[in-house]
Amino acid sequence: MSDCEIPDEYIQERIQNIVVFMCNECGQGSANTAGVARMSYDAAIRIIRVQCTGQVGPIQIMEALNNGADAVACVGCCLGACHFFNGNVISMHRIKLMKKLFKELGYSDQFVNQYTSRAAEGETAVGDFEDIIDRLTTAIQEKGTIKDGC
Amino acid sequence: MDVKVFQFNGCKKCFNETLLLKEDAKYKVEFVSDPKNWKGEKGDISVITGYLLPSDLDHLELIKNNSNKVIAYGDCPATGGVFALANQKGHDVTPLANLIEGSNRVHGCLGEIEELKFAISGINVPKLKSLCQVCSRKATCDYLEEINRQIELEDSETCFNDLGFLCSGFIATECKEKCIDYNTPCRGCKPSIDRSGIRMLAMFGTLAGNIEIATEHSVKGATDKLGDDDDDLTDSLPDVVGNFFRFTLLTSGLPKGRIPSSGTLLEDVFIGRLIEEIPLITGLLGGAKSISLTLKFIESYEDANQIEVSEQTKKYRNELLELEKELQKAIDKEDSANYREITDKIRFIAGNMNLSNIFFSGFKSIIDVNDDFNEYKTHVFDVVEGTYKNGSIEYTINPDGIITEIKINEKLL
Repeated sequence: MSDCEIPDEYIQERIQNIVVFMCNECGQGSANTAGVARMSYDAAIRIIRVQCTGQVGPIQIMEALNNGADAVACVGCCLGACHFFNGNVISMHRIKLMKKLFKELGYSDQFVNQYTSRAAEGETAVGDFEDIIDRLTTAIQEKGTIKDGC
Repeated sequence: MDVKVFQFNGCKKCFNETLLLKEDAKYKVEFVSDPKNWKGEKGDISVITGYLLPSDLDHLELIKNNSNKVIAYGDCPATGGVFALANQKGHDVTPLANLIEGSNRVHGCLGEIEELKFAISGINVPKLKSLCQVCSRKATCDYLEEINRQIELEDSETCFNDLGFLCSGFIATECKEKCIDYNTPCRGCKPSIDRSGIRMLAMFGTLAGNIEIATEHSVKGATDKLGDDDDDLTDSLPDVVGNFFRFTLLTSGLPKGRIPSSGTLLEDVFIGRLIEEIPLITGLLGGAKSISLTLKFIESYEDANQIEVSEQTKKYRNELLELEKELQKAIDKEDSANYREITDKIRFIAGNMNLSNIFFSGFKSIIDVNDDFNEYKTHVFDVVEGTYKNGSIEYTINPDGIITEIKINEKLL
């Protein structure tokens, strides 16, 4: 890791594809609400709608990363409010293990994340997207993304 | 049938096992322990053992051009095996399929000789059951309350995963070595599906659904998000790579590790691993010296921490060391009958050739029905930070029981 400053333009250039798995209930719901309210978010965000974030696991996350995604995130229902049973919590456990795995391999753990949102509030989803980009920026600054690999 | 067996790098356990091909008169077996100086000579079947590096490519191509069929025997050439854990620190262990095209493979650490015979004759291996189907333990698949690092021997009926140990049986096929019979969770050396390590990670992440994880308030989103702090889940799994990707780090689609290397390839395999995993790893990669290497690690820890060892344990350990010497003699003489006899004796005491039954302070399962198992039963030990030394090995563990430094001044055979 070098100490040299990384220019903002470079970071901007590096943030191209962010895959966000959003659950059909709260996650996609809040994105829809954001759309109705004409809120804007970064064009790098690519939403994939899933029934529940519990469906998304390390296989799908690795598939996305290996096919060019800069970051992957899941957005599910709020804690305790999964529309199924506890899919959001299970997904959080898997993603936590993925984060630990990337750290053990010498990468940043900031490009795989999980968030929650509320269907009635579009700003929760938009705020989550902003946070995803902030965390990815940190990862790029640390030269810790997969694309920075040897 | 003309069979040439080539040993590349690392442990020679699979190479030695191919001695058993000699029992069958139809195979004309030739052993090449130094393929780098092999001149090339037409043959029918070539069997590759040992882990491979990109620098071996020329020799592999020479072998391929001179044979009708190339078989990767054992996990090391097939998937990178346990040596591939060194890739976490930037090494370049590579599976055979990534170096040359059109090779067959026989999984397993140790690879099974019967399966090799099938591969040589070109017959498909009869369909194997999954390990869980042949396991006598019963699974409930309830969410775990906690993850345990060391085996307690009391419960022999409940699934290892339900008890909080990481057993890779979900993704493994039935096998001869069968660690699960010796109170050792499966390590997944014979995967039944591709990308088995990452699937196991997903499965175990689900099982751990009740364990507390760190969440934090997201200022921008005004809701909760997954936190970056350590929590019960990460604290109880200090070594995700070593536990889930013991044999499949290279075939799970993960990026190459970038941790700085701190020694030889062999030493890098050990760094980051957990103290209770050490007997499992040395049993896997110690080759013909696996018994003495395993016991050196164990005894240095026992001596320093005053862990009492019974007379019966010592007797069995000494027997194993004697057997190791005899085994080497049988290998030197290429005496397959003697090799089989001695490995059967080792299996009787140590469970299998991966030494699953050997552990700190004793053995994990009863060896002889006439024994009183309490006399040499292993028990849960405390993790004590410190540096441990015994002859040619020296290692340091941190308070979490993770190996941080290691020196091995020994050539593996």
